[in-house]
Amino acid sequence: MDWTEILRFSRGPLLHVAMMIFIVGMSYRLVKVILLGWERDRAANKGSKLWGVILNYLKGLLVLPFIPWVRRTFRNNALTFIAGGLFHLSLFVVLAFGTAHILVWKSLFGISWKSLPTPVVAFFSAAGIISLIVLLINRLTHPVLKLLTKLPIWINWVMVFLPMITGFIMARHLWFRYEVIFSLHLISVSLLLIWIPLGRISHFLFYFFSKTIHGAQAGKRAIMP
Amino acid sequence: MKEKTIYEHLRDKGLSRRDFMKLCGTIAGMMGLEFAPPVKALGKLTHPSPTEVVAQALKTKPRLPIIWLEFQDCAGCSEAISRSSSPSLGNLVLNDIAIEYHETLMAAAGFQAEKAKEECMRKYWGKYVLVVEGSPTLADDGIYCTVAGKSNLDLLKEAAAGAAAIIATGNCASFGGIPAARPNPTRACGVADLIKDKPVVNIPGCPAIPEVTTGTILHFLVMGELPKTDHFKRPLPFYGHTIHDHCLRRPFYEAGKFAESFDDEGARQGYCLYKLGCKGPTTYNACAALKWERGLSYPVQSGHPCLGCSEPHFWDGGGFYEGQSAPTIILDKVSTATLVGAGVAVGAALAGVNAVKKSRAKKTLKKAASPETGTEAETKKEA
Repeated sequence: MDWTEILRFSRGPLLHVAMMIFIVGMSYRLVKVILLGWERDRAANKGSKLWGVILNYLKGLLVLPFIPWVRRTFRNNALTFIAGGLFHLSLFVVLAFGTAHILVWKSLFGISWKSLPTPVVAFFSAAGIISLIVLLINRLTHPVLKLLTKLPIWINWVMVFLPMITGFIMARHLWFRYEVIFSLHLISVSLLLIWIPLGRISHFLFYFFSKTIHGAQAGKRAIMP
Repeated sequence: MKEKTIYEHLRDKGLSRRDFMKLCGTIAGMMGLEFAPPVKALGKLTHPSPTEVVAQALKTKPRLPIIWLEFQDCAGCSEAISRSSSPSLGNLVLNDIAIEYHETLMAAAGFQAEKAKEECMRKYWGKYVLVVEGSPTLADDGIYCTVAGKSNLDLLKEAAAGAAAIIATGNCASFGGIPAARPNPTRACGVADLIKDKPVVNIPGCPAIPEVTTGTILHFLVMGELPKTDHFKRPLPFYGHTIHDHCLRRPFYEAGKFAESFDDEGARQGYCLYKLGCKGPTTYNACAALKWERGLSYPVQSGHPCLGCSEPHFWDGGGFYEGQSAPTIILDKVSTATLVGAGVAVGAALAGVNAVKKSRAKKTLKKAASPETGTEAETKKEA
């Protein structure tokens, strides 16, 4: 099999089409959610919406994840919380500070920044993969989760796991020829991009949307979000 | 009269036995012979040292005639080999092995040159090695590259028919190279795409590393066959590893230290050039191991990222200074806006349909519920 040709295809047309589907799909999903309808908010404006939004993000992203024991979610299910948190943190570190990914953002948005040292990114990459495996085992063994998990969730897991594992193998130069694993990584990323608007992974965008709305609502009422 | 062997030819030119053995050692190294395989061509099935194998071949074999054809090329590969950093090897190939026909290097021109080629082909039919530099063109029966009134396709087929083996040197002859870059108006292609009935080996590069071309020719001379190749017909001794595998900047890559621009501190410190568009990880060639100019340097060592010139379609593989991980087709602002617009339009349309459905359902519910509500109110009043 000519992997140089496959790489050319996956770096070019395949990724291009996947990105197009991703953009159309996510715009569609977002608009559909926004236009579901809004309840009229009759509360008087007692505080600042902006401040509410800022507080909500600070609390949700910077404070609570690092003092998890104050939350009931953590006390009831520490494993999901830690593995899930580590997975999301790792994903962020690898995508935002991995050298190869920075080059992707640079080509797409024209901006670039310093990458983290490779061993640090490799550590987070491994941590993310291990967390994902732990979460899978948990899902396979937990009696309630097993009942709740349907086919789309298993597909979600595979779709996220494949780019991560192929990316790790590629970055560490393990086992495969570079063009082979590079192609596999790009193919899995393309599949993920196509899958995201169809499934629950779209929460990566909706999370920020709902976090903003909740923050604004709480800010308006001058209460802690 | 019995034809002189290469050794006899070299002795006549004044080469000492000592220099001859040194040359044999160099050739064995150049061919990438770590150990000597049993060489049937020499009638030996034992495992002598690589140098002895080469010496034996040069002592017993007559000169190997080479016909060097040029098609759509820049003569860069010829330039490289004629200015090869290994003068003894360069001379060996150019003068002693020997090249019988080479449009750029030979003194003869016009009809004389063509006649010499025809004579050589007739004399050594089935024995000569055909080296092709530059890409053949398929468009309009190959009329975009003609020599002595013949199209390059005819010239190639004619010369290939009597060749013992074909060596395509440079990216153009191997994969079409720069002439094959989009939109490839002349339909340039590699020699191996056209010639299927002869052993063909590709020595891609822009230009091909002269020692690799020389080494491959010598391999054929010594072993009687072309070296083992990869799936792109590139000789494995030279194309078995990527530039990245043997890169002297590799430790910086592993440590995550990258030059961000050509004139920053990282570049001065010799950091990895991956962020400046280096294609080393997917480029199979011997630059990092053999280097150029008698092992002096190679592009990455000199501070320039690898362009990937020994790979097919290297001219169309994204910008030379674009990161290798970047997509090769970038969505422009207009296309992105159009795509977002399409998504929004479909979303809005569906939301509109939903809203209409919702309001109809509400109305129906209201209608159905209104008599009941009335009854309830009446009941309350009565109470």
